[in-house]
Amino acid sequence: MIKSYKVRRFVTNAFVYILLGGLGLIWISPLVYLVLHSFRDEGLAYVSYLIPQKLSFQNYIDLFTVTKESSMNFPRWFMNTFIVAIFSCIISTLAVMMVSYAFSRLRFKARKPLINIGMILGMFPGFMTMIAIYYLLKAMGLLEMPLVALIICYSAGAGLGYQISKGFFDTIPRALDEAATIDGATRNQIFWKIILPMSKPILVYTVLTSFIGPWTDFILAKIIVGKDIPNYTVAIGLQMLIDADHVLNNFKKFLAGSVVVAVPITTLFLIMQRYYVEGVTAGGVKG
Amino acid sequence: MKKLIALLLAVLMVASVLAACGGNNNANNNSGDNGGKTTENSDPFYGEDNISLLVWAPDNAVSLTKQLCEDFIAKYPNKKITIDVQAQGEADAAAQMLNDLDKAADVFGFVCNNINKLQQGNALAPVVADYLEDVKSRNTEFAVSTGTLTVDGKEQLLAYPETGENGYYLVYDKQYVTDDDAKSLEGILAACQKAGKKCLINIDNGFYGCMPLYTGGMVNNGLKEDGTQIFNDYDKEKVLDSLEAFAKLFHEYKDTFMSADPARIGSGMAENPSTVAAGIDGSWNAATVAKTLGDNYGAAKLPTIKINGTDTQIIGMNGAKLIGVNSRSKFPEAAQVLANYLTSEEVQTTRLEELNWLPSNKNAQQNDIVKNSPALSALLAQSEFSIPQINIAETFWTPVGTLGSKLFKEDDYSRATLEKEFDKALANILDE
Repeated sequence: MIKSYKVRRFVTNAFVYILLGGLGLIWISPLVYLVLHSFRDEGLAYVSYLIPQKLSFQNYIDLFTVTKESSMNFPRWFMNTFIVAIFSCIISTLAVMMVSYAFSRLRFKARKPLINIGMILGMFPGFMTMIAIYYLLKAMGLLEMPLVALIICYSAGAGLGYQISKGFFDTIPRALDEAATIDGATRNQIFWKIILPMSKPILVYTVLTSFIGPWTDFILAKIIVGKDIPNYTVAIGLQMLIDADHVLNNFKKFLAGSVVVAVPITTLFLIMQRYYVEGVTAGGVKG
Repeated sequence: MKKLIALLLAVLMVASVLAACGGNNNANNNSGDNGGKTTENSDPFYGEDNISLLVWAPDNAVSLTKQLCEDFIAKYPNKKITIDVQAQGEADAAAQMLNDLDKAADVFGFVCNNINKLQQGNALAPVVADYLEDVKSRNTEFAVSTGTLTVDGKEQLLAYPETGENGYYLVYDKQYVTDDDAKSLEGILAACQKAGKKCLINIDNGFYGCMPLYTGGMVNNGLKEDGTQIFNDYDKEKVLDSLEAFAKLFHEYKDTFMSADPARIGSGMAENPSTVAAGIDGSWNAATVAKTLGDNYGAAKLPTIKINGTDTQIIGMNGAKLIGVNSRSKFPEAAQVLANYLTSEEVQTTRLEELNWLPSNKNAQQNDIVKNSPALSALLAQSEFSIPQINIAETFWTPVGTLGSKLFKEDDYSRATLEKEFDKALANILDE
């Protein structure tokens, strides 16, 4: 048994830091490999060493070069994904906020049943309904416009994700609403002018999650977009780059593409990061 | 309210499903009619006009296919034809077809291993009588066999052969492996060992792992009604001999032999210094590997292996690319005419010139391009020693891959162990 507190603390800390350092290394190594090899100039798909011999931007240039011979069009896929993500983000954020506001502030007869239905529907895994969604979209003729269909799919059910923001709204004192009502504000004005400005953390959280969702989704996008290569999103496009027929030539482009895909999410995250941590924890204070 | 919404959704779904079924019936009737038509008719389209067709071609063939389709339209000036060509990988085409036949292409390229799946999904309109004899006689027997299935006890040609191969061949770096070495697996491994490089065969993948079985005389001989694999009447002792010979070689050259994704062959050869000197690689990688190696590029049919003292040719699996006609096409006759045109000698030669695809057409195969290309000649030679990649059960791949991995991973490769592993694999394939 070590007596000295200092020594004991040192030993424990050393042990903890070495363990965490090791875990951190394991966690970050694929990312380091990805970034490092996205700049690799030599070789084809795989190499038997870890550090590239020569670095260049060629893979990024190739990735953004659209040729006539190939239907791989990464810039277009990137824009598609961006458009889908932006629209879904705006629509879902609005929907989530409005539903949460209604459930938190308004009292109406169906409130409790609707909250329960929302909870129960939210418990079904999304991919259970995918086949049904496909046939519904087909019946409505929306499969001809896959990007519109995707925006609808990502944002239509978004209001069901109201729980966290409703929890946050519940923590905002009702006295504020009442004061505003006395001053003649309508429910609508209270939402836009009082509640929303006070809910920045949860707003940021909702924006982030509803942007990242469509940006990274693969399964639903694959089913709906199917074989329509010009309308691919980046997730399906990147997968196409590394199927057996293309992997030998396109693996390095795939690495570069994976790095590029991370850029918008990282940027968005960095801008909104200040509010993010507060947002994640805020809703849980009071249920 | 809840009930009302649920009811509404249910009605909508049923309606869409019913709508899909309706389309099916019509098209089936149409394709039923074609089958019986044998009378000479000056109009190959049987009166169809204002034709609009959708064609799927793989990514790298789209621009060429567009051009070919324009030539096709120009051949029939008195018809109004529009053809749209979309990119669709051949390996994934079957899945996309079956996903939704109504939205799928009228004429599409696919790889022959998907033909059973497409047939079960009623996605393919068989080759019509007008072209049947011609297609059978102008293409190699091997290519025709990849498009032929036994349906209801009758042999039917379900699609037009487009290429003569879609399989694997031996590739080697001439700096380290001589043409003579490349004749036998023993020679290749010895040469690779001398050079300190790897020889790569993806034996623990069923596609390549079937080689020892086929070399031992086993053949996939069709599927039962429920999709169970049927094998030929093989001699188990011979299969075990072959497995033993492979296992012995892999152990003898433990440091040289490697089983990994074939994309590693090209990658390893492109490294500086190179790490791979030979391997059994897919033909889809051939162009890239040939460019990498330049003058040192060597290609040949699969080598021989010494089984009980005799050099035996290794038999591999080989496919072909086919062009199919959607059974629900709105212009079934025109689709057949187009598919026939897209697989004709003239078009196959164009494809050979532009894309380096090995033709299935007997005359087109005589082209000098085939003779002068090491890869194409190797693939052509290999197709004689190949089992067509059709009639293969879904349960075939994994057990065969596992059996392949036992050939080099386990230290014990005695005949008794191999027999046990073989029986296990067979039981898993047959799902017993």
